[in-house]
Amino acid sequence: MQLRPRSLTAALLISAAGATPALASEELLQNICSSCHTAQETGLSRISGQRKTPEGWMMTIVRMQQAHGLEISPEDRRAIVQHLSDSQGLAPTEAAPFRYAMEKDPNAQESFDEPFASMCARCHTGARGLLQNRTAEEWALHMDFHVGHFPTIEYQALGRDREWYKIARTEIASYLAEQNPLETAAWVDWQAAAKQPVAGDWVVMTDLPGIGEAYGRLTVTGDASPYQVSGEFVTTDGTKHPASGQMNLYTGYEWRANLDIGGTAYRQVLALSEDGNALQGRQFDRSNDALGAPLTGARAGTGSVILGTVPSAVPAGEAQVQVVGTGLDSLASSSGDAAANSFGATLSLTAEGNGTVTFSADGAEGQIAHYTSVDSIRVEPEFTIARVGGGSDTGPEAVPAYFNAVGMWNGPDGKAGTDDDIRIGRITAQWTVANAHEHAAHMEDTEYAGVMQANGIFAPAIAGPNPDRPFSANNAGELKVQAEAMGQQAEAMLIVTVQRFIDPPIR
Amino acid sequence: MKPLNQKAERVQQAATQGQMEEVRAMQTVTAGCATTFDPGWEVDPFGGLAALCQPMEADLYGCSDPCWWPAQVPDIMVNHQNWDEGAPNAAKDWRALGATYPTDAET
Repeated sequence: MQLRPRSLTAALLISAAGATPALASEELLQNICSSCHTAQETGLSRISGQRKTPEGWMMTIVRMQQAHGLEISPEDRRAIVQHLSDSQGLAPTEAAPFRYAMEKDPNAQESFDEPFASMCARCHTGARGLLQNRTAEEWALHMDFHVGHFPTIEYQALGRDREWYKIARTEIASYLAEQNPLETAAWVDWQAAAKQPVAGDWVVMTDLPGIGEAYGRLTVTGDASPYQVSGEFVTTDGTKHPASGQMNLYTGYEWRANLDIGGTAYRQVLALSEDGNALQGRQFDRSNDALGAPLTGARAGTGSVILGTVPSAVPAGEAQVQVVGTGLDSLASSSGDAAANSFGATLSLTAEGNGTVTFSADGAEGQIAHYTSVDSIRVEPEFTIARVGGGSDTGPEAVPAYFNAVGMWNGPDGKAGTDDDIRIGRITAQWTVANAHEHAAHMEDTEYAGVMQANGIFAPAIAGPNPDRPFSANNAGELKVQAEAMGQQAEAMLIVTVQRFIDPPIR
Repeated sequence: MKPLNQKAERVQQAATQGQMEEVRAMQTVTAGCATTFDPGWEVDPFGGLAALCQPMEADLYGCSDPCWWPAQVPDIMVNHQNWDEGAPNAAKDWRALGATYPTDAET
């Protein structure tokens, strides 16, 4: 592809980050994209008929590189993603139902009605399609794109048993045009809405997989992407993990940060609330996105907010608890002594037996359970997958799976596993794995598929055919993950499967 | 019809035991996994591994070339024509098969 020479008179963007594009965004878009996309009344062909997430736009540009020979620097690519996400993004309410896909939640499960489930979500997440809005013409062209790029789509299973193209062009395209049109009231309203500045101090709560439940405080500085982020996370034992990095804010609310936290590279995919005072999303290990956890945040100094406690539950006796939030100077607790700090307030408890301590401040409420016994435990997630990997310089790394044990009380009905069960919180467990069934036992899956670590993380085995197994099978396996804690047992299902060679930001 | 292999036998069992709806429901076992039914990539239609090709490298190109799992495995036919470069025999040369999404393409 031939790119047009850039205008020397283009406006220069100024940023402290250094890695900035040379041109203002609209001019950059024209220069990079108009070699192939023609100018029309509404804008550049194809591009102007679509809206999508930052990840969606990035995947589109990467496809232009891989399939159409586009040459573009990483800086220009990100600048175009910024421009298109800001001018042709999704409103918060449009992205909300499908955030799990952007967050790369490894335990998310989808359920869609037919024919969308078989026509679209049989290969990729349904979210990948539904995190886009297009004109009716664009949705129809999107079906043609699929046949052009993946011609066997019509004779794969669930393709050859029907008139795939006809259904795609009629039922699916019209369904999507109606469900996800280019023009929506939500997008018009969001474009008109006053966007709240993201800079400032944030109190956050999350979990650092393998390390433990954590709270922290992050300071955001700057007035445009990339923002600077610095602060620290603190784990239950009081260990401090310094945090620093950069954050890009797209569409006025999509927070994407890369942070070094205590020497490990993490990524945050968060949504800033419409009032600009709350954060919600997922933080994960940047090199291994299966290792992550939900993250919530509250802007420091905006009223009284309680995000939760670290730890989430405590054994009875003397305990020091961090109530995570902001504006908790007047925190009143049903037991113990509270003292405000920069992460909310600490609560010194002396609690006997099983029970719950409640606390509140100016309308914000929270609670923490203390326990000497549990009636049952749960393993979370109940089902997930891991992947073998590694063993080469080029292939995908192994994808682990992260489990936690949660203590439960039976609740008023005295029965375990019913709706009125009371969730106590995370408890320490001993972990083992067992073969899931007869076939797994025959294949000796527990011997080959990987190792269950004491911290609840399953580390899968190496990729490749294994000559020690029947048929040189991969080190795949079907396992029961078993937790034992306080005399109770629970299990979850884990499938250790093969590598994923195409792993885009939205799967 | 008589099933010729283990997978076909499992399908027939499922059909006779009225489990075909369950088979269909397992398509979205974990978001983004392909269970497309001949066979799936991550899991089979029963949510397990027993009906998958193992090791997957033994017949990888036979399926990936014509784009059997377009969102999981690079197809050599259209979209990732050089993916198998340096790996003429997947079972022996699997270490040369890399991930295709660029690591620097992050938002």
